[in-house]
Amino acid sequence: MARESYQEKLDQLRSDVLYMSEVVLDRLRKGLEALDSKDEDLAWAVIDGDDEVNQMYLDLEQQCIDLLALQQPVASDLRFIAASFKIITDLERIADLATNLGDYTLQAERDVFPEVDVQSIGRFTVEMVEEAMEAYANEDPEACRYVANRDDELDGKCERASQLVVRDLIETELDDGADVEVLLTDVSRLLLTIRDLERVGDHAVNIAARTLYMVENSDELIY
Amino acid sequence: MTQSDMTDDGRIETTTEGDSGSADPEHGDEELIETGVTAGLEENESQTFDGRTIIESRGLDVYYGDEQALQDVSFEIPEKSVTAIIGPSGCGKSTFLRCINRMNDLIQNARVEGELRFEGKNVYDDDVDPVALRRRIGMVFQEPNPFPKSIYDNVAYGLRLQDRTDDLDEKVEQALKNAALWDEVKDRLDESGLELSGGQQQRLCIARAIAVDPDVILMDEPASALDPVATSQIEDLIQDIAEEYTVVIVTHNMQQAARISDRTAVFLTGGELVEYDDTDKVFQNPESQRVEDYITGKFG
Repeated sequence: MARESYQEKLDQLRSDVLYMSEVVLDRLRKGLEALDSKDEDLAWAVIDGDDEVNQMYLDLEQQCIDLLALQQPVASDLRFIAASFKIITDLERIADLATNLGDYTLQAERDVFPEVDVQSIGRFTVEMVEEAMEAYANEDPEACRYVANRDDELDGKCERASQLVVRDLIETELDDGADVEVLLTDVSRLLLTIRDLERVGDHAVNIAARTLYMVENSDELIY
Repeated sequence: MTQSDMTDDGRIETTTEGDSGSADPEHGDEELIETGVTAGLEENESQTFDGRTIIESRGLDVYYGDEQALQDVSFEIPEKSVTAIIGPSGCGKSTFLRCINRMNDLIQNARVEGELRFEGKNVYDDDVDPVALRRRIGMVFQEPNPFPKSIYDNVAYGLRLQDRTDDLDEKVEQALKNAALWDEVKDRLDESGLELSGGQQQRLCIARAIAVDPDVILMDEPASALDPVATSQIEDLIQDIAEEYTVVIVTHNMQQAARISDRTAVFLTGGELVEYDDTDKVFQNPESQRVEDYITGKFG
């Protein structure tokens, strides 16, 4: 095997991207858990941990730039680096959305619309990110397509949840004593939570799309 | 044999079937389907040729004594473009280049089988004069090799040899301009070409090659002896002259091939052409695993 140092750097990049994804997934799970259990300490842990993810992102970005500048990668190596460069951006955004969940936890004083199963939607998005990263690790094109297909299901879940909230608001006559401002805040937050989880799914699809480009040089899933 | 003889020989097939003189690539595209020269296109539809074929190798085998240097090489080179030939040492890339203008004739035990067509005419046919052929297919070598003459005489050399001395000053000036050297030498044309820097000498050799207005310029590692600045000047120049001429370049520098060529041919050990495609395709998504391994540095 020639270019050993180069090969080591490629291997390092791969394992660092996978490590970053584990950290991001952990933050996403904890954000959901904090939201569910109203655990403020856990919420703060997720929020404070975002700096660490941002630093990982910058370090990985530099690794990619160094490889491009110094090693002139071509063919599958080039596609791997280009894909990784894009995927770390999606991972960083997922971590941002996880910190949003932490913020919502701190803001929420009570549950509204308990019939909306945020946790179920959340678990679904976690699975999508896990599957996208497995596709990346295993260079599995079918797994990429599977993740992309699941996004329709996620979008359906999110749309139904949002409609349920809006429909209920339209149909409900508020009591005279109801605090409209508080209700407005609670409902907005719930809708934002649903939107953020839907975006996590979009980032999972982006990861799958870039992975498919990496493996098959195909732009089939890119937008 | 005069140059016009060679021109007649070489152009009969193409000028009658497709307008070889067409400078309009858009129209050239439609016509190239009909030319005999490009008949081989149908055999490999994965390749996209956007120019008329000027050089075609068909089942080319080259031997040096008992050793086979090229094995059954078949591909087509479009005109007015840069085609790079890359591959590890000993893969036959320079051998191929030297077949195009029959420089291998000068090697005693070299034997060529198959066909190497230039403008549809096999250059190894008995009636082809290699000297006339080389007037239409110029060559630039790895080490700049200006003659120990003045800058002016270097460029004028081929024109004088061909008795094409009308408007000689203008022709020399134009060749030096086309070689991006004029501004640097216009005030010292009577100085020796050997006084120039390495990069300037190489551009002088390119000026000398294009002064006689060939169709094709072959380049064998033209920048490998130059520093990075002189290398980028040569690379810019190659891309500029490819608007008028067909350039075929052998290079060890894969990034150079990626930077400047439209198409890349990858020869691998054993003198085999393993892949030939648009350069961006070869460097982003090669078909062959062997090519992938070679260009990513996993072997070779």
